Amino acid sequence: MERELTNGISRSTARPVPGDARLRPPCEVACPIHTDAQRYIQLVAEGKNAEALGVVRETNPMPQVIGRICAHPCEEACRRGSVDEPIAICNLKRVASDGAKAAGLGYEPPAVEFTTGKKVAIIGSGPSGLAAAHDLALMGVQPVIFEKQPEAGGFLRTGILNYRLPKDILDEDIDYIRGLGVEIRTGAGVGEDIKFDDLVAEYDAVLIAVGLSESRPLPIPGADLPQVLLAVPFLEDVNAGRDIPELGKEIIVIGGGNVAIDVARSAKRISGGKVTMVCLEADHEMPAHDWEVADARAEGIEMVCSQGPNAFVGEGKVEGLQIKKCESVFDEHGRFAPTFCETELSVIPGDTVIVTIGQMSNLSFLPDTGPALNQRGILIFDREQCTTSQRGIFASGEVVTGPGAAVNALASGKRAAIAVARYLGVDVSFSHELVAIAEVPADVSEKIKPAARRQMPVRDSDERLKDFEEVETGLGEVDGRCEASRCLLCGSGARYSELKCVACLTCVRVCPYGAPWADKDGLGGIDAGKCQACGICFTQCPAKAIDLTVVSEDDLMASIARTVTAFGGELELGCWYSQSRVAPDAGFISLPCTSRLSVRMLLHALESGASKVFVAVCSEDDDGHFVHGHRQTRAAVAESQKALAEIGLDPELIELRLVAVKKCMAGK
Amino acid sequence: MITAERKPFDQIKTVTDQFENILVVGCNTCVAVCLTGGEKEAEILATQLRLQRQKDGIGGTVETVTVLRQCENEYVDAVAAQVAGKDLILSTACSIGPQLFADRFPQVRVAPAMNTNMLGVVKEHHVWTEYCAACGDCGIFNTGGICPIARCAKQLTNGPCGGSQDGHCEISKDIPCVWQLIYLKLASFGLEGNLSRISGPKDWSKANSGGPRTMKKEGFKP
Repeated sequence: MERELTNGISRSTARPVPGDARLRPPCEVACPIHTDAQRYIQLVAEGKNAEALGVVRETNPMPQVIGRICAHPCEEACRRGSVDEPIAICNLKRVASDGAKAAGLGYEPPAVEFTTGKKVAIIGSGPSGLAAAHDLALMGVQPVIFEKQPEAGGFLRTGILNYRLPKDILDEDIDYIRGLGVEIRTGAGVGEDIKFDDLVAEYDAVLIAVGLSESRPLPIPGADLPQVLLAVPFLEDVNAGRDIPELGKEIIVIGGGNVAIDVARSAKRISGGKVTMVCLEADHEMPAHDWEVADARAEGIEMVCSQGPNAFVGEGKVEGLQIKKCESVFDEHGRFAPTFCETELSVIPGDTVIVTIGQMSNLSFLPDTGPALNQRGILIFDREQCTTSQRGIFASGEVVTGPGAAVNALASGKRAAIAVARYLGVDVSFSHELVAIAEVPADVSEKIKPAARRQMPVRDSDERLKDFEEVETGLGEVDGRCEASRCLLCGSGARYSELKCVACLTCVRVCPYGAPWADKDGLGGIDAGKCQACGICFTQCPAKAIDLTVVSEDDLMASIARTVTAFGGELELGCWYSQSRVAPDAGFISLPCTSRLSVRMLLHALESGASKVFVAVCSEDDDGHFVHGHRQTRAAVAESQKALAEIGLDPELIELRLVAVKKCMAGK
Repeated sequence: MITAERKPFDQIKTVTDQFENILVVGCNTCVAVCLTGGEKEAEILATQLRLQRQKDGIGGTVETVTVLRQCENEYVDAVAAQVAGKDLILSTACSIGPQLFADRFPQVRVAPAMNTNMLGVVKEHHVWTEYCAACGDCGIFNTGGICPIARCAKQLTNGPCGGSQDGHCEISKDIPCVWQLIYLKLASFGLEGNLSRISGPKDWSKANSGGPRTMKKEGFKP
């Protein structure tokens, strides 16, 4: 059973960058599960949401969840960031899944057969356990998940609030995984309802993916006062819709991470009162994501930074938090080692204090003879092999990696799935070595047209505080396509064949971005870091030494013939970036700029039987996505018309028609 | 490089209409570099022919193949399989190409799709200009590195003539008078006085006037 895998799923359809198969767009390299974001973004740009979702699913077992709550390291790496702002990659994942759902496509799991005859027990149904189960199922291994909570999802369900991740969305992602034949036994606590050793005996392998299910307590005076709450049980109660003890009108949240933000925003919704977050870190050091902090501030949550908790104060119940000034959080090695000014004390009044200073795992279900723990009570674990000290027992997710983003937990689960599968004799080849394309050079960056990033629409902050309904409403089809159009198609441009090159220098002369180069011996190449994939060099190369990665010449020629055969009559060669058709009744092929159409292709369309060919082009002052793109399109059409006139055919068999691209590119 | 332009389609058609199975052969050297007869242009011409023959109800096939250089026996011979069964070879190379095809495939009719025009340089993208006439006796050291044989309409060796007007040749305002250029170039070195020396008669026997030329490179031979 030979498979080419990157993180568990076949990648045969992925495109290598010319010259170096490891060289990939930085978004994909930065993604912990290496999702081919560029490819699904292109499909969103074309309005092909179901296909886009398919690409997401190749690596991502929870596309809807991750399309909402991802920490999106891809966006930090996005090369568009050096031009204006990064592509809203995470939001576009949601556009794909929302769009596919609206079309009733992309949610039917493939039929899976457990051909290996092997069974794996997975403890925990959080993102890591679910990801491992998903990938194992696709590899023909039968997973059974044991979840102590009444519903699956782990911290995604108990820790993340509905306003960020609606429960029905989580259910849909989990249902898809169930649809692969993954059995999830809820209310089945290992160590309580089932013995760990029984799992070891019954299953071919066991994966521990229990996450960090307990709050770390804060051992300072007054910690046992009533209304001093811990974050995890608080969030569990909120998420389960259980009664929350009266919080009062002033709530203090201790902590500055993403979970603390969720706690604060929930407390605000429940109490409607004043919510203050207290954290050790300075404003700019807060561990929560910037956008989470901004969302919380927008909802009126106050931040008290550079302050540490000294004591809970109050008689009979908590009445406030005594804080002390925090002078530094980390030592010179970057380790957590806060120092305080013990004399600068003050008290913040509060009716409830919720402690959100970190989480820890509960491994009490492990017998003494089971996998070994280190002195700090953490599983001894091999990061590469995902193994514990006991043969056949594996671990993944936050229980071994520590706290992090959900997508990291998915990555860990996927890695564990491969390790488990290999242990069970499944032949999985795994390649992880990817190198990001270099940053956009400054001389290229200034030639790329700026286009405003589409902002995620959110419900009004006063409105959204009244309930737990989802705050972000989704980019939607139109803005989604516009946003996707901003993608620079990093590394998906011109491919150069040294064998076919006649060293004519045409590409060097026509490229608006200076990507092709040649030395005095006629040796040359095309710099993937500069190429913007406009196709101008490709159409002008006289020796066919240049092809394109996105829509190669052969693919395009075949697609033209196929479309003409299928639709008969007229053909429109249109533009990804316009969102409008110039000949709505014609057969349609959409391209990332019609500048990549050559005379030969246009004539080929007629030769294939088209009665008329319409070519979309932007107006001269519009000049859509690519510099000089429209000029190239106009030249190719003019040359083709000349070629038709020469042979006595009507030049207007190939007709230019204007489309508006500017509006989409420039933003609102 | 040698530059060549495609013949008007009507001229090509009068020949190709007489044949059933045609092979359009591109050349990926000089005519590819001057963007008129490389692989891509050969394919465009073949597509045009197919469309025209479809329209005019002419049967048969039009196929295309491209070789690296149509001035080498080995490259020409390498497409024997594609030539088999064809009635006409239509070459998009300079005139050397169709001639060599005629030599190597004596049983097949051959036609040029191109008019060969000059030995030139790229002045700017898509513009070529003549620099050399292959006279066989290069004397440009004495004329400031500028060739009056290729670039003077009269091929004067002691110019300019009386038709030089404001730096232009009398035949067109778009053509600079090459002797004006030579004068200015020599003057930039302070050598304009050299022009007072009369250049003796040129040995045209080394040019095409001495009959077709053969060049031999002495030295190692197999």
